[in-house]
Amino acid sequence: MPSLALSQLIGAPVYDPSGTSPVGKVREVALVPQEDPHRVAAFVVKTRQGERLLGIKSVNAINGGVRADSLAGEWTAYAGGEGMLLLERDLLDQQIIDVHGRKVVRVNDIDIHEELGHDHLILKLSAVDVGARGAMRRLLKGVVPAAALRSMMEKLPPKLIPWEFVDLIETDPARRVKLKISLDRLSRLHPADIADIVEELAPAEREAVFQTLDEEVAAQTLEELDPKLQVSVLSSLDSDRAADIVEEMDPDAAADVLGDMPPETTDEILTEMEPEERAEVAELMTFEEDTAAGRMTTQYMALKAGAKVSDAVEMLRNFEGGLESVSTIYITGDHDKLLGQVPLAKVVLATPETPLMLLSTRHMPTIHPGADEKEVAELFDKYNLLTLPVIDDEGILTGVITADDVINMLRARL
Amino acid sequence: MSQSRRLKIWRMRLWVFLAVVGPGFITANVDNDAGGIYTYSAAGAQFGYRLLWVMIPMTVALVVVQEMSARMGAVTGKGLSDLIREEYGFRITFFMMLGLVVTNFGNVVAEFAGIASSLELFHVSRYISVPAAGILVWFVVVKGSYKSVEKVFLAASFFYFAYIIAGVLAGPSWKEAFVATFRPPNRAAFHDSAYLYMIIAVVGTTIAPWMQFYLQSSIVEKGITARDYRASRWDVILGCLFTDIVAWFIVVACAATLYVHGVRQIRDAADAAQALRPLSNEFAYILFAAGLFNASLFAASILPISTAYTVCEGLGFESGVDQKFGEAKVFYWLYTLLLFAGGAVILVPNIPLVKISILSQVINGIVLPFVLIFMLLLVNKSELMGRYVNGTWFNVIAWATTIIMIGLTIAWFASGGGS
Repeated sequence: MPSLALSQLIGAPVYDPSGTSPVGKVREVALVPQEDPHRVAAFVVKTRQGERLLGIKSVNAINGGVRADSLAGEWTAYAGGEGMLLLERDLLDQQIIDVHGRKVVRVNDIDIHEELGHDHLILKLSAVDVGARGAMRRLLKGVVPAAALRSMMEKLPPKLIPWEFVDLIETDPARRVKLKISLDRLSRLHPADIADIVEELAPAEREAVFQTLDEEVAAQTLEELDPKLQVSVLSSLDSDRAADIVEEMDPDAAADVLGDMPPETTDEILTEMEPEERAEVAELMTFEEDTAAGRMTTQYMALKAGAKVSDAVEMLRNFEGGLESVSTIYITGDHDKLLGQVPLAKVVLATPETPLMLLSTRHMPTIHPGADEKEVAELFDKYNLLTLPVIDDEGILTGVITADDVINMLRARL
Repeated sequence: MSQSRRLKIWRMRLWVFLAVVGPGFITANVDNDAGGIYTYSAAGAQFGYRLLWVMIPMTVALVVVQEMSARMGAVTGKGLSDLIREEYGFRITFFMMLGLVVTNFGNVVAEFAGIASSLELFHVSRYISVPAAGILVWFVVVKGSYKSVEKVFLAASFFYFAYIIAGVLAGPSWKEAFVATFRPPNRAAFHDSAYLYMIIAVVGTTIAPWMQFYLQSSIVEKGITARDYRASRWDVILGCLFTDIVAWFIVVACAATLYVHGVRQIRDAADAAQALRPLSNEFAYILFAAGLFNASLFAASILPISTAYTVCEGLGFESGVDQKFGEAKVFYWLYTLLLFAGGAVILVPNIPLVKISILSQVINGIVLPFVLIFMLLLVNKSELMGRYVNGTWFNVIAWATTIIMIGLTIAWFASGGGS
């Protein structure tokens, strides 16, 4: 299957049946993503009578130039390309997300495959060139004869990203809708990888990503961002969108971010949140960040003293918090007083009828809300903990610190 | 509002300001690098006070150009090479990057010239100082924490006050200096190719092309957005003023001593420093040498790595000192070559250090208009800058600077320049 490069098409002469001299030059190659996101829909041709749109259905062949089978006078006038993806303007030299490689790359060139359809040519976008081949071609096009260029290309290793793995970034929300840019592939990556990608983008593009991603994915990604970026991103969103995302975050992470933001913005976001989530986050915000209380989450699994293993499993099914908090199930009594804790492994191994209190571990390290970070880290290390309950003077369970919080804390010092 | 809340707001405002101070000030200080010091010294020695009139218009132009850079960085969140790539395509970016590498190579050579000659004043051979400095810089930038080093250099930037002190101690004719600052010379002066050469060098060293790329990238890296940008503006303006005041004093110091006593050509730092010796005391002499060394080392730590970043980002290569060598080959090779080849040039026997340094600044001046043209085209695009496009006066000043620099270059060639 012969393959063309976009850089070869741009500026190529266009011929119609009227004669042997070109009627114009290709200025743009356009796709209509709502109809077919992979195939070229039309060429924008610059003719002596202005810019015209040459539909792909009228294209016979591409050899030495684009050969159309209808006269130039019959082509429609080009009216601005609303709803069209213009490859030279929107893709060439722009940044795109390489979902497979999990990074942001710049487009050097685009590889297009030619196929012969029933009565016209089919041009399919096959891959984006982000390597030396594309760079060389762009640099030497028109300067070095085509044959010599082709033999040079053979020697350079190709660095291609298949079109299926490409996610486009579009900062204009109206165009995003028109072009159906949904970042589906990006959202399937691990939030930490999405965060890495997002950190490489400029602010406008970053905002666009957070406006497009699903709230849950956006929340998890936000949690993985550098704190300064977290603030910057949340401040750039509308307060109701920001509130939607904050609601989906772990309350302790949410409290940290909101605490770093200017008070007026924090208030705006809090007002837009659902009352339950707002109360949780507001409560955590009252604690000093570098104490045990500042690190804990209020989303953990806790059951009453009489509960059985089957109740725990049921609760697990409905648990909304992060996976880190479920490694230990806590048992509480009156007024949320901490009575016992059961590692998840024991729950898995026991029969459904077993009372939870029976499985509770004998030793139960706990920590006071006012304790400093050093004490927290020491306890985690000493007792090889995954989670640590935070209890106040009356023995009431107020929150849980998880291992990832501690690693976060320690990395800040490394 | 509660007391603690109010305190928090103030703390936040202070942090924003402190976080934002830096890029403009650093850029401006690195501006007074070895190339700068030699150029200003030679300007004073060769022409006395006759070049001082350039200072004020040049400072205005510098402030305008730097502010444009900072504004573009804050509003678009992208570096200059990224913007050129996105708006003008691969080929143009490639040639701009090529030009930048060539220009910056010249600047790196000048930095090592500064290191070599400043330490030679303390009798350290250049064959020791240059390789040692090169290796030290390489390791600190690649392996070490550049951020903490940056703070050391910034603190040491107060050495620049030494030039001001040296200038005062040299006992210049203040009246003549002030008059010359405000009065341009007569037309005949512009037919002297050596005079034109020096003007191009002085402007080239003050408004160096690499600075625009560096400043914009620093602003982006600090995460300064259109909103916090106002504080950055002050950082930029104050930096520019400080740098040019120091420059003025260097010219005046050399004019008052070397020129007046007939020493019209400076061959190395010793010549420039010697002038201060008998008239003032040992202290000024040592400060001058220390200041030159600090400036050169600081610039040598910033310039090559900044060039490597700019070129790799513009052309789409992997970049970053946090990447392993194998992951970012072009980046590491470019950086290493720039640094060590620059140093190697200085080790060539009998190389005229001052002449080469001044030549490198002339190259800056010749390339400057091209960078300015791109900046002007970009900063006036409303799709890019929104309501932060250039105001009329900024456009006038920046375009005037561009045209004048092109004019000066042509005039210089025409008047028999090109040694």
